[in-house]
Amino acid sequence: MADLRASRCPRCRRLVVPPASICPDHPVKMEAAVLPPVGEVVSFTTLHSPPEGFRAPLHIALVQLEGGARLFCHGTATEGVRIGSHVAVEAVDSVFYFSHIGFTDRARLFWKRAGARGERVAAIGKSVVKGVWNRRPRGKD
Amino acid sequence: MTRFGRRDENLPDLMAEAALAAMTDAGIERPDGLVVAAMNPEEFTGEGNFASLIATRIGLSQVPALRVETATSSGVAAVYAAYAAIAAGFHRSMLVVGGEKMTHIATPRVSDIIGRSIDPYEKSYGTTMPALAGLVTRAAMHRRGLTLKEISQVAVKNHAHAVHNPFAHYREPVTLETVMESRLVADPLRLFHCCPISDGGAALVLTAERRAVRIAGIGQGADTIAMRYRNDLTSFRATQAAAEAAYRMAGFGAARVEVAEIHDAFTPFELISLEDTGLVPSGKAGRATLDGETAIGGRLPVNPSGGLKARGHPLAATGISQLVELCWQLRGRAEGRQVQARVGLAQSIGGLATNNWVTLVEASR
Repeated sequence: MADLRASRCPRCRRLVVPPASICPDHPVKMEAAVLPPVGEVVSFTTLHSPPEGFRAPLHIALVQLEGGARLFCHGTATEGVRIGSHVAVEAVDSVFYFSHIGFTDRARLFWKRAGARGERVAAIGKSVVKGVWNRRPRGKD
Repeated sequence: MTRFGRRDENLPDLMAEAALAAMTDAGIERPDGLVVAAMNPEEFTGEGNFASLIATRIGLSQVPALRVETATSSGVAAVYAAYAAIAAGFHRSMLVVGGEKMTHIATPRVSDIIGRSIDPYEKSYGTTMPALAGLVTRAAMHRRGLTLKEISQVAVKNHAHAVHNPFAHYREPVTLETVMESRLVADPLRLFHCCPISDGGAALVLTAERRAVRIAGIGQGADTIAMRYRNDLTSFRATQAAAEAAYRMAGFGAARVEVAEIHDAFTPFELISLEDTGLVPSGKAGRATLDGETAIGGRLPVNPSGGLKARGHPLAATGISQLVELCWQLRGRAEGRQVQARVGLAQSIGGLATNNWVTLVEASR
């Protein structure tokens, strides 16, 4: 998953996505920043008669990234999504899409963020799985 | 003001009807200035140079006129401009007239034109006013504990009030069941949580001399047009700032308010706004509504006119019509829906709460 391009206000440190030239709260130029493409659902809705050019049902979510920046996303479904749900965000043709992150994805992200310690635990986990896989009973061929 | 609803007259005629009624009521034939409010006549009716057009249509072509616009709260912005002109000593009397004509256009197109008040980037995601209101409602239900029953009871109450308002778009009562089972528009918002598309005009005369009702305070509050730039979806900073400014100007607080007209374009907004203006303690608006506190006869009648929900919402007419209702209420002329009050509060929301107003009016002693 690619990081998301954002911008940060040098005065108030506010982050916005997509990048903007001037901070909404200060008349100063913003600086470029990047943010990891994962966040929490702030709210979501489904439009049953969306405007022209969109197919019903249209799922729209407002997602908050780490650092506080919020962005609008489309989604393919809102089943199982709740306020506070963890989602991954991906841009397709500069339109953001959210997808619900399940338990295993979340664990992987957690280890990734845990840094070296996480890598070590992940490596141990991987080798255990590998060992079990290699020692599985095989038929003759 | 005119009767709100589906009207066959064109917009200048509707505004003329409202303006003449207000001038007759005030006993003024020629005000010193005119402020006109219309949110988007260019697209709804294809009319431009709108202040001059209206001035000529209502027989005031030689009176200096200007038009102001702050999206759906344009009507109050016009009252503010007129008030400021008098307070600054430029003029002694001002006519304010606002209106909108929309019902002749197909609903998706109306929705698109109203949606011009949304941040263009966010609009590119298919967001409409109901979509943004849906996001606000779900967040408010989650974080503030609003319930479906509470936001539905607002519609039941306001429709019940409008039964007694001959100027209202809808004069039929609705049941809680009808509201709660109406079709989903923007989950969790349902059709009967949303105001209708209406035509209509409303007008007020402001003068420097003492009259039966005075404007005690008027305040404006602003917030970012982009919803993604806000830290909180469940209250409107623009209303809080407007209320603070209005109370400061008036020299009194929410405790003195005895009747309120609130911008219930979506019924949960009435509950959010009652708390934003301090009229009801935080977290109590839903319960107060279920208990009948905000109905006519309750502790604080809210939207005795029927509100945007039932009186209707001809955009730039709405903010003025709230003040017209309060004037009638304070003068004892709201037949059939009269409340006992000396101080009233009107709150108007522009866009998705980007440009809000709170006005306090008081009966002269």
